[in-house]
Amino acid sequence: MTQNLQIELTGVDKHYGGFHALKDINLSIPNGSFVALVGPSGCGKSTLLRSIAGLESITGGVMKITDEVVNDMPPRRRDVAMVFQSYALYPHMKVIDNLTYSLRLKKTPKAQARKMAEEVAATIGLETLLDRYPRELSGGQRQRVAMGRAIVRRPKVFLFDEPLSNLDASLRVHMRKEIRALHDRLGATSVYVTHDQIEAMTMADHVVVLRAGVIEQQGAPLDLYDRPASKFVAGFIGSPAMNFIPGRTNGDGTSVDLALDGQPTLRLGRPAAANQDVIVGLRPEHLSMASTGDNNFAVRVGVIESTGSTTYVGAGDRNDITVVLSDRRNISVGDRVQLAIDPDKVHLFDPITEAAL
Amino acid sequence: MRRIKSSIVDGVGFDLLLVGIPLVFLILFSGLPLLYNVLMSFQEVDLFSLGDVFRPFVGLDNYRALLAQPEFWPIMWNTVIFVTCSIGGQFLLGFALAVFFNTGFRGSTFIRGLFLVSWVMPGLVVGATWNWILAGDFGVLNYILDSLGLISKNIFWRSDIDYSLWAVVITNIWLGTAFNMILLSVGLAGIPKDLYEAASLDGATAFQQFWTITVPMMRSTTGAVICLGLIFTLQQFDLFAAITSGGPANSSNVAQYWAWELSFRQYDFARGAAISTIMIAFVMIASVFYVRSTRHEVRG
Repeated sequence: MTQNLQIELTGVDKHYGGFHALKDINLSIPNGSFVALVGPSGCGKSTLLRSIAGLESITGGVMKITDEVVNDMPPRRRDVAMVFQSYALYPHMKVIDNLTYSLRLKKTPKAQARKMAEEVAATIGLETLLDRYPRELSGGQRQRVAMGRAIVRRPKVFLFDEPLSNLDASLRVHMRKEIRALHDRLGATSVYVTHDQIEAMTMADHVVVLRAGVIEQQGAPLDLYDRPASKFVAGFIGSPAMNFIPGRTNGDGTSVDLALDGQPTLRLGRPAAANQDVIVGLRPEHLSMASTGDNNFAVRVGVIESTGSTTYVGAGDRNDITVVLSDRRNISVGDRVQLAIDPDKVHLFDPITEAAL
Repeated sequence: MRRIKSSIVDGVGFDLLLVGIPLVFLILFSGLPLLYNVLMSFQEVDLFSLGDVFRPFVGLDNYRALLAQPEFWPIMWNTVIFVTCSIGGQFLLGFALAVFFNTGFRGSTFIRGLFLVSWVMPGLVVGATWNWILAGDFGVLNYILDSLGLISKNIFWRSDIDYSLWAVVITNIWLGTAFNMILLSVGLAGIPKDLYEAASLDGATAFQQFWTITVPMMRSTTGAVICLGLIFTLQQFDLFAAITSGGPANSSNVAQYWAWELSFRQYDFARGAAISTIMIAFVMIASVFYVRSTRHEVRG
């Protein structure tokens, strides 16, 4: 009945000696979906991926792949393929032998294995490199071989462990699209680990944000962006990061006073508890520079970084309020400017629990 | 002068200095004696001409005389058996131990270090110790073999012509295993761990991982270890001196020991030098393979 669930984790725990790496992880990954595990380094995302692969054993909970409990199943029997951050190509084998390695282990006839590898090589642009050794390939080509080695097996699940982090920026953007296109074509389930929230947002159907071994929030990429459950998720998802300004709601909870010069007041889209200390979250791209109008506050411009298409302005007493402008403005350092925001786009967080209010 | 000094301090002169010092040392203490040995093998040498460099030239007479001696071929054959069995035993045991310690269990590096004790001990001491182990009447080896039911009467390892060579081979395997293990451990440690992870996900069992990842990735290390083993085994002298003195009846005599016997027991320096020259040729061939195998290392 849960046939459309490819991977199911229930209460998964992982201890390394005294260190609690994964805490009560509950995660359901539907067949054919693309799930990104994202979080800062040390949050447990790679550990979770390696646990799914079977390279790490879990200390508690139940892990199922297509309805089968795999807690104690060795990696080779799980029918999952993994693309490593280091690529982990077999350096003593040519590209073609790297691609056919798994097939040869399964005793696939030689000619058939070669044919399968050549088909895969053609789809990812490796056909001219089959007789080279990994050391003779560029970083991007090695990355493709690593992908090809996973694809040729036609596994139930693809696991990606930060596969793009060793590539330069432009190739990374290109491979991002290519991996997503490949996923759509093959229709297999993919689990993708990254510390780069942009990769997670652009590639995945479902994003899981991890922090210190706990799932902080999971959902569709834009849900996380629009409705972050905590200050951590709000700050992690979105680039540049959300601005956080301390504040206090007023007597009827319909507006908030910011702890800035002159105690400016912002109206709220929906009422909050009255007379409460809060942290106000404002996304840089939601702030606009308006000389008039309502719901605005004045700040001093400290830094201006222009990239041509976009201008990043650092404002406030410590230049810690970032504003993203998509048009060019005639402003200079030292100016006082008015920043306006739509009341519906003001986020409030509890200063102690950091939960969204 | 200033230019030379500044070149040594700042530039290419320093490199030349670094290369030059060992080169002078090698030429002085290895190259010249080696050439002298080769020269001597073509000369007529007696006790009265020992101090000379230029002595009567006799062409290949010394080699012919050696070949004519009835013990020549048996001793060469002994040398082949000694070298191949020693290297084979040392390598297989060393590899097995290296793989064992590479699993990284608690205390593995410490215990691996203890194994080096055998390599640190002088050959004569090792020989003396093994003389007790190998002793026919009260030796531990016979006791163990007897307890296991493998032998029915004591083997006189050092004085039986069927066993004397094997007594030295066994001791030499014990002596060289640790050295093989250390070199092979270094090679094993150089294989990235993620290759095994990738292979296990690709469906390889531990046995398949060993044959498809470990063995091929260890090829250059294996080549180097075997070539070094060949060189060291051809140099092994102490054990023969300590255990069998090449006897009985040359049954455990090998080329290197025979060369010493000819030169320093019978004072036939020309024939001793001739055997040494033959051995130099073999070592040179091994050295070529050694240099080649270290040059063809597989890098990721």
